[in-house]
Parts: sequence; C-alpha cells; structure tokens
Amino acid sequence: MPDTQFVAGAELPGFERFVPQDRVDAYAEASGDHNPIHLDEEYASTTPFGTRIAHGMLSLAFVTELLAKSFPDDWHSGGKIKVRFSAPVIPGEKVSIYGSISGVTETDEGTVVTCNVGCKKPDGTDAVSGKATVPLRQI
Amino acid sequence: MADVLIKSVETGHSFGPYDVTISPERSASYNEAVGGDESPDYGNSLAPMMTIAAALTELIEDLGLFSEGLQTVHAGQEASWIRSINAGEQITATGTLASSSMRRGSKFATVKVEYTDVDGSKVGDSSTTIIVSGVDA
Repeated sequence: MPDTQFVAGAELPGFERFVPQDRVDAYAEASGDHNPIHLDEEYASTTPFGTRIAHGMLSLAFVTELLAKSFPDDWHSGGKIKVRFSAPVIPGEKVSIYGSISGVTETDEGTVVTCNVGCKKPDGTDAVSGKATVPLRQI
Repeated sequence: MADVLIKSVETGHSFGPYDVTISPERSASYNEAVGGDESPDYGNSLAPMMTIAAALTELIEDLGLFSEGLQTVHAGQEASWIRSINAGEQITATGTLASSSMRRGSKFATVKVEYTDVDGSKVGDSSTTIIVSGVDA
C-alpha cells in the first residue's frame, strides 16, 4: 500500500474531485441511471432538494477510488464497503474524499484492514460515510 | 401507477437475472465520467462499482422508480468482492427484496444482489437501500 502504514489512525491519501453537471451527465450516460433528479433541473426543482443532485453512486465511486489507490493489489479482491448517503452532492461542488485506518486485525485468513471512509461536501458535512474492510494479500 | 412494482412488491421477490456484462467501451466511458486522468488505472479490470451501477439501473427499471409521482432517494449501499471483474467478462446479477417497510408514508426497501460469472461462481454481492415517497398516492 503506497505511502500509508498499516496502523490504526493512519490517513489514506485523500483527494478532491470537482463535480460539474457535465460529470453527472456523463455518469448518467455510462451507468444508465437517467433519473431526472440528476439531469432535469425543472423536475428537480419540484423535489425536496430543489435542484439537481449528483448520483450517490458517483460519490461512492470516488470513495472506492481512494481504496483502489490505497490498496491497489487487494481492494478488488475481497474488499467490502458499507456506506450511507446522508446528504446530496450538488453539481458545481468540489468534494473531499477521505479515509483512515481504524483497525488492523489478524485473522485465520490473514491481515484485514478496516477503514473509515467518506466523501465530504464543501461545508464539511458528509455526503457519503461508512466503513470498508480490505484483506491484505498473503505474500 | 397501479402497475408500478415498488408499490406492491413484497419481501422475497426475485429480480433478474440481469446480464450486467460491461463492455470495454462502456467501462472506459464510466472511468472517464468518474475521474478520467485523476482515476486509478484499473487496467482490464472494471472499477468495482461499475457492475453494481449496471445492476441498479436494471432494478430501477423493474421497480418503476422513475414513475410519475414517485421520488426515490438512495439511502445506503453495501458491496463486497471476491475477485476483480474484467471488462467484457460475462456477469449475471440476481436480486432479492430483502426487506420492505412503510415509515411515515415512505417505503424503505433493501435489495440484495449476487453477481456470478459464466461458470456460475459468485464474484461479489451488494445490498442497496432506497427510500421511496409517493407510493401511497
């Protein structure tokens, strides 16, 4: 795992990602999720959010990028994640992706790293937050 | 609205099987949308959430979540992977409504999905929780 030690409290290498409407539109096209709440401003203005919002799965994709960067050999094989979507990302916002190691456990199958991960909005509130576990490959 | 599945679906209902095979071209479009040059290089593997996103699209269609009068919020998501999936690899998703309840006029539903490869071996699973308002209209 680059630049991060396997110890509780270690920070994963977070990053920021700008989320313009163009990115939301492109994500809708690639994922096939054309929910008008993401794409149609007139429709979205009638929802409780009052405007278009980014796909939760897009924000989650950012979070899993952090895990893929932090655990390039292990995240794709045996990784688990559980998150809640607690606030919408509004197109035009820049979000911050963060993570830290909350525990390192030795099991019969090997070492398992547990992380707190999430995606924060510009005001510091969590759009996505949760936990991920990554079993480290035995060498 | 009478035929919209989310209004009547009961726990244990099965979804799929869905073919969620992701072509290399679609994978590239997804990676470009999510981060482009800022994203990790997944090589021939899919970004982990891509297959789940494809299955979700099928579930949304079957449940009728875009139907007039409904508003759906994605409340929670779980995923786990046994191994990476290659672009173009044939993957099938099958789902089950794991829970469903009405609270304050909204429907809370959790759908669990299992992903299998061409040999029928499980490669991962996911669990999606949604909150749908307007179902009692």
